[in-house]
Amino acid sequence: MIVGGCDIGSTTGKAVIMKDGEIIASTIIPSTTKPEETARMAMDEALKQADLSSIDDLDYIVGTGYGRLKVQFAKENISEISCHARGAHWMSPTVRTVVDIGGQDCKVMSISDEGKVVEFVMNDRCAAGTGRFFEGMARVLHCGLDGISSLENQGAEPSTITSQCSVFAESEVVTLINEGSDLKNIIAGINNSVSGRLNSMVRKVGLVEDVALTGGCAKNAGLAKALEKHLKVSVKQLPHDPQIAGAVGAALIAVEKAAG
Amino acid sequence: METNIKSKTLDEFKTITGTMINPAVQEWKDNGGKVIGYFCCNIPDEVMTAAGILPLRLRGTGSTGTELSDAFYSSINCSFPRHVFNMALNHEFDILDGLIVPNSCDHIRRIYDNWLRQLDIGFLEMFNLPRKVEEPQVQWYKDEVHLLVEKLEKQFGVEITEEKLKNAIKLHNENRRLLKQIYELRKVDNPPITGGQMIAVIVAGTAIPRDKYNEMLKELLEDLKGAEGIKDHRARLMVLGGILDDPEYMDILEDQGGLVVTDSICFGTRLFWTEVSEEGDPYEAIARYQIQQRPTCPRSYGDQPKRAQYLLDMIKEFKVDGVIGERLLFCDSWVVEHYMNDQDLKEAGVPFLKLDREYILSGKGQLRTRVQAFLEMLGGK
Amino acid sequence: MDNTDLSTLGRKEVLEKSLTRYRKERDWFQMFLDALSMMPELSEEDILQQKMLTILLESKQTVLDCAENNKPFIAGYFCNAPEVFHAMDLPWYMLMETPFLAASAPYLADDIKGTEEIGLGSDLCTAIRLPIYYIETGQMPIPSAVLGLIYPCDGAPMLHQVMMHNKAWKDVPVYAADPPYTSDERAIDYFADELKRMAEFLQKHTGHSLDMKRLAQVCEDGNKTYSKWQEYNELRRAVPCPHGWSIGGPQAFAVSQCFVAGDPKCTDWFEQLVKCAEIRVNAGEGIPGVKERIRYFWFDIMPYGWIFELMPWLEEEWGAILTMDMFGNYPYTLIDTSSEEKIWKGLAKRNLIDAPMIRQARGTAENFSNDIRRIVKDYKIDCVIWPGHMGHKDGSAAGGIMRQTCRELDVPFLQIGLDLFDRAYTNPDEVKDKISKFFTSMGLG
Repeated sequence: MIVGGCDIGSTTGKAVIMKDGEIIASTIIPSTTKPEETARMAMDEALKQADLSSIDDLDYIVGTGYGRLKVQFAKENISEISCHARGAHWMSPTVRTVVDIGGQDCKVMSISDEGKVVEFVMNDRCAAGTGRFFEGMARVLHCGLDGISSLENQGAEPSTITSQCSVFAESEVVTLINEGSDLKNIIAGINNSVSGRLNSMVRKVGLVEDVALTGGCAKNAGLAKALEKHLKVSVKQLPHDPQIAGAVGAALIAVEKAAG
Repeated sequence: METNIKSKTLDEFKTITGTMINPAVQEWKDNGGKVIGYFCCNIPDEVMTAAGILPLRLRGTGSTGTELSDAFYSSINCSFPRHVFNMALNHEFDILDGLIVPNSCDHIRRIYDNWLRQLDIGFLEMFNLPRKVEEPQVQWYKDEVHLLVEKLEKQFGVEITEEKLKNAIKLHNENRRLLKQIYELRKVDNPPITGGQMIAVIVAGTAIPRDKYNEMLKELLEDLKGAEGIKDHRARLMVLGGILDDPEYMDILEDQGGLVVTDSICFGTRLFWTEVSEEGDPYEAIARYQIQQRPTCPRSYGDQPKRAQYLLDMIKEFKVDGVIGERLLFCDSWVVEHYMNDQDLKEAGVPFLKLDREYILSGKGQLRTRVQAFLEMLGGK
Repeated sequence: MDNTDLSTLGRKEVLEKSLTRYRKERDWFQMFLDALSMMPELSEEDILQQKMLTILLESKQTVLDCAENNKPFIAGYFCNAPEVFHAMDLPWYMLMETPFLAASAPYLADDIKGTEEIGLGSDLCTAIRLPIYYIETGQMPIPSAVLGLIYPCDGAPMLHQVMMHNKAWKDVPVYAADPPYTSDERAIDYFADELKRMAEFLQKHTGHSLDMKRLAQVCEDGNKTYSKWQEYNELRRAVPCPHGWSIGGPQAFAVSQCFVAGDPKCTDWFEQLVKCAEIRVNAGEGIPGVKERIRYFWFDIMPYGWIFELMPWLEEEWGAILTMDMFGNYPYTLIDTSSEEKIWKGLAKRNLIDAPMIRQARGTAENFSNDIRRIVKDYKIDCVIWPGHMGHKDGSAAGGIMRQTCRELDVPFLQIGLDLFDRAYTNPDEVKDKISKFFTSMGLG
């Protein structure tokens, strides 16, 4: 059976094709202003990668992500919370807590040994702790996202950034820059403050190991390191790209749906 | 802004204020003493002193975050209880033998509920405050003091006699009198002490044995009397607001050349401007002091005209050029109080600057800019 | 925003201005009522609407008549023991009427902007900010006396302090009963005394007098109303639930406590309400056209500022039925009228412990978890939603406790974070997205 999962987020679109329980293609592309187009482009690229000629070769497709309602070729749409949980569980079956940091929101899911969501929390109105927040910070620091995630840039004495609100946090960072604080300490401070917020969310659902990070920001090594310090447990490294966890989860659900 | 004053006592006050479990608290515990934490100006701390227990008013000094407490609180809650409760969850208050929480505001009162469910403490009590300031409320408060005394006696195996209570009142009144004497020195053209220094002095008084505090205040008064006054300030400021316990925040206000000469804040004159009567029933005296005689905060209902008058009197007595209203974000009490203060001060022709803030100092750059602009507006040099 | 300088207006102009909105509100009720009477045939639900509109309209008309002809009338808040002033034949309006009615009016957005322009911070509860704005801009009828409320939140006492501070309202006497934080006998006695003082205050400032026999009668009539309400709530336990968000709790609260209290008219409305529900329950039917898939407990007021953008969607998209809400669920204790003392105590208990929002938010957080436990069990609730209105700060500070309670009950819990009035605070689409994610992830619907 060949199935597809398509995860349309606010900053990237992800598509995965699975055949008999294995990933045979996966793509990540930047989101366009039209989610339906992003979906189409991501899937076309995945089809090419899998050497498939048409979308009709797929037995079932599930859409997920913020733009899930706009994935026109999907037969069903499922929330990214369920999909990330399923995806992370498939990648590493011992995972019980999933921290998903997307472009514009973050969620923490507590999952059962079958990969079902038991409880979850989302960030509230504030963008702090999301991809958008990191982008804003990278802009202010002129360091790019890589600069924020690089382990070498995590200063030993993280600056204190207390504001919950991303706008105020940004102005705090500007103050720190003007005061001549060490850039590496500021970067460590940013990852530190986001980790603090994520830790609160994890505590809300209850911390159970293993903990895994998914979503685009899971690739931020500095953040992962800071989060480990806050949670006081290590974060499980997933054997696949954590950014495609949602699309993988969608594909897995597609298998079930196709089987009826 | 700094004074030239050399005072060992002042340095000691700063050390005490800079940390939550200061050396005096540790020493008290080491000698087998009991410590009870509490919040706000409206808890009768005399009762603890009378019981031979050290009342330690809790703050979030030294807190680095709210990640543990945010699992219980939300982002529309004030940062003060979130920092304090976070420290509690971090076991930084394990030294306490008890905690008394007043229903001061919507944020602080929930410390009780969350503490009750998350942490073990031998003695955890709500102190149930009324909102109004009339006779039945004095009686309600008086009953609450009686109930508290009974509970303390039972829990700690102490006897709190009327005489002990009266002695505690005298002791705490002396704190108040001495603090007021220092404020007298701030009325002159060249006060010997800054607002930042003053706040350190006041906060310390809520964190050490009150007899020791009296001794220290006397030493400080001596040092201040001999000190050269501050001359380089360009305006005299009053600070009006809530839980402000951070000398550094005051320092930033004053760095721009304004000298804080008086205040109405939770760690300020509202704590000591009036005294508890030393005559008659001490329970009645404490209740009347708390409900009717002490300058109130906006949670006290129906007292706004009196508060407004207090503000105007302060401005006159201390020759204040401008008022800074500080408020912790999400505080529904102070935002409306400041709204009314704004109207009153406009009418009185006194410039007023409203500042929202987080409990732990942040955004210093923006703060400096706003204060500097305010001072320029005041027409200083 | 409205920035007329009230001090430049004469007394008559101030009065006219203060009645403009109020008249508009009356005219809406009249319009709705007229529209109903033009219909060739009325359903039982239409009759229910008609009865409610008649009560509301009459209350509005009476207040206007008093204001225009210089007769005493008062402004009250909720949970002020309205039985007392109803027994005194004292016309009254509720201070929260205007903000709640503005919620479905085109000027709400402008009013919210106005609150910020006059200098009230955007993190201050909108339900407090709006009435302050209406008072400060002279858009509320100035009464002979005010009954304030100083609980359940920090904002409410501030609203009344602004009222006393306002120049046009300065001479209006205000009384508010002081709420104890506890709920024991001592608290009830204390509050009963506060209510007695309230009655004295009203007699002094309005010239209307209180006859205790009449009050006993009003309480008896009220008991009939509340018994009917209880009967109605039992019907809501049915699966499927006979009514959703659009009929029930909030209206029951308004009819029994906000516009009139302890009156055969109320009981009559509740009888009609029971009738409407009974027809459906007996037929084993739920809301027409909706297949019930999720029974949710909405633990707050509904988002009146954008209610039509959310509540119908929950039914249509998800078959999610508001089975119970904060204002609908309360088993009010009937008042023992055998002695004067018992009447006062009964009123104290009702207004301190039974009435919604006051009941949960006034005291310790236990009040939140106990309600969740009871309602989840009694109404076969599938999930609990704490909307997290930006003004309900004590409630959100108990969010962790509510979550824990729900975990123990094994029922999913969602905390949203929104503004009941201001749709810009959290966009309705975002709210819908959160709810959708919640439902699907929890395997509901």
